[in-house]
Amino acid sequence: MLATRCLSRPPRLGLQVGRTVGAGGSVERMPIIEIERLCKSYQVYQKKEGLWASVRGLFRREYRQVEAVRGIDLTVEQGEFVAFLGPNGAGKTTTLKLLSGVIHPTSGTARVMGHVPWKRENAYRRRFALVMGQKNQLWWDLPAQESFRLHQQIYRIPTSSFHQTLDELCQLLDVKNLLNQPVRELSLGERMKMELIAALLHAPEVLFLDEPTIGLDVVAQHNIQHFLRTYQQTKQITILLTSHYMKDVLALCKRLVIIAQGQICYDGSLTGIIDRFSTDKVVTLLFGGDRLPSQWEPLGRVLEVVGPKVKLRVERQRVAQVLASLLADYSIEDVSVEDPPLEEVIADAFNQVSRTSVPGAPLDRIVPGTRV
Amino acid sequence: MPGESVHPSYIRVLLTFMRNSLVRDMSFRSNFVIESVASTSWVFMNLGFYLLIFRYTNEIGAGSGWGKYEFFVFLSTTMFINSIIEALFMPNAQEFSELIRTGNLDFALLKPIDTQFLVSCRRCDWSSLANWLVGGSLLVYSLRQLTARAENPLQIHPLAFVLYPFFIVCGVAILYSLMISLSASSVWLGRNQTLYNFWFYITNFSRYPMEIYGGTYGTPLRAVFTFVIPVLIVVNVPARWMAWPFDVARSGPLSLFAVAATLASLMFSRWVFLRALESYRSASS
Repeated sequence: MLATRCLSRPPRLGLQVGRTVGAGGSVERMPIIEIERLCKSYQVYQKKEGLWASVRGLFRREYRQVEAVRGIDLTVEQGEFVAFLGPNGAGKTTTLKLLSGVIHPTSGTARVMGHVPWKRENAYRRRFALVMGQKNQLWWDLPAQESFRLHQQIYRIPTSSFHQTLDELCQLLDVKNLLNQPVRELSLGERMKMELIAALLHAPEVLFLDEPTIGLDVVAQHNIQHFLRTYQQTKQITILLTSHYMKDVLALCKRLVIIAQGQICYDGSLTGIIDRFSTDKVVTLLFGGDRLPSQWEPLGRVLEVVGPKVKLRVERQRVAQVLASLLADYSIEDVSVEDPPLEEVIADAFNQVSRTSVPGAPLDRIVPGTRV
Repeated sequence: MPGESVHPSYIRVLLTFMRNSLVRDMSFRSNFVIESVASTSWVFMNLGFYLLIFRYTNEIGAGSGWGKYEFFVFLSTTMFINSIIEALFMPNAQEFSELIRTGNLDFALLKPIDTQFLVSCRRCDWSSLANWLVGGSLLVYSLRQLTARAENPLQIHPLAFVLYPFFIVCGVAILYSLMISLSASSVWLGRNQTLYNFWFYITNFSRYPMEIYGGTYGTPLRAVFTFVIPVLIVVNVPARWMAWPFDVARSGPLSLFAVAATLASLMFSRWVFLRALESYRSASS
């Protein structure tokens, strides 16, 4: 069932974000990112355990073909803030690297602002930026200010606009007093702020963010989210974000793209994903009297019981029936029906995808640990 | 910023790289001083070794043209070339292999600037330039000895002051090409520590006058390291123009070959570099 979903192109809601309507009422905006049947596969050396296997490996090596991205189609409009979600090894980072021109695809096409990324034209490289939460591009032993000056030279940013942009960004991120401190002495959160500044100094029109909040504490995550939201809304730039933190996604993105096993399995709105992948609702009941049901199984799965307050997970189509029967038989003071947390829905979606064998791609072709 | 000039000022970027490297080196003062002292000491030990050798002989091979002070001009040329390589390119070539292995080359590929320039010039090891002082002093001292000797004093032709630095630049370019090609091979090999060591082994041949390679074993070596991997001409050609009497017939053909070899080496290294970038896979983040 889900395999069919994965293979067919899902409906897209993203077109509604950031579009402009012309005089005739038609949508005028051109897509800023266009990807068609993009594929990337590569060989990975298989090293077997033990000394003898290592010696044999000197003469005869075994390789495994990893299909990191398998025929992705995606269109992103100017001004969209799109979340790219998927389990480890799904192909998210590989897609971002393809769009940044860091690696060449095996087949397929992609255009970002009219440029083919892997041609690595300077005209393109001046118009986008990539921030990777797990990699550091600033000079480790120098204050960030020195790296920023270098960026100014490389991107040929005029001095006046360089200072203006730097001041704006420092103010937004509240790091003015850290500019002269060596990068190695900054905290992870402070370093990420500096990485963002370095990436935004040349005012990119497209920003690729690969797990920008990884490893950050809650406050630092919140600060980065707040900054990204403000910056994107002010500048109306296009952002593609990968993250494992649903709070990032909830705070920032209206459009979600789920990628698993190198293919897009969902492309739509936040609410759409809940409709699509969540089969349950969370029902919270506050019982009035002492009498509670003796058996819960026929009603749903108990998540929590605290005194007279009970939290149940009930199949979506049975919610009305369960509530009617409870209200008829028991004294209930308060009821709430909610969707499950997004983390759970996404985890369910990933699990459903992982359990489903996609034709031509046995699951063992992409193994844990092969992060792409 | 579409429509604006898409090319950065390479000289400004280079100066910023050198400035940043100096700021960085200066922030580790003790390390900077120790490195300068260590590399200068190594140069002095080398010099001492050759002084010892010249206690037992007056020249390297009869009629080879490399007497004690001619050889010291050769040695100072080696010092100049090595210190430029060690200051400008060695740290970058080392780092390039690491960038490939760790996937940090990603950031270099994102920048709107020639990637080979960025990778080759990012760091500058200023402490290695300390050897310039030793090389310069040795060159001046040796030339004074050569020009002031009673028998057959050396007359330095004005053109030698042009050809000498020109061929030093050619020599640096040849060694740089070799070094960056070997580093770029990390893309295919995953790790190229052996090849990097190999670089040290073969450049060892460049440290001696090519006239010493003769006989059954020496002649093939001389041919290989002149025409296949042209490391022998790196020091030999500039040193000849400065240490020997100005003689176009004697040094001209090899010098012309050196120019051709420099161009060929640079083109070959550019080809290898671009092929490597195409094959770059980027390590996982």
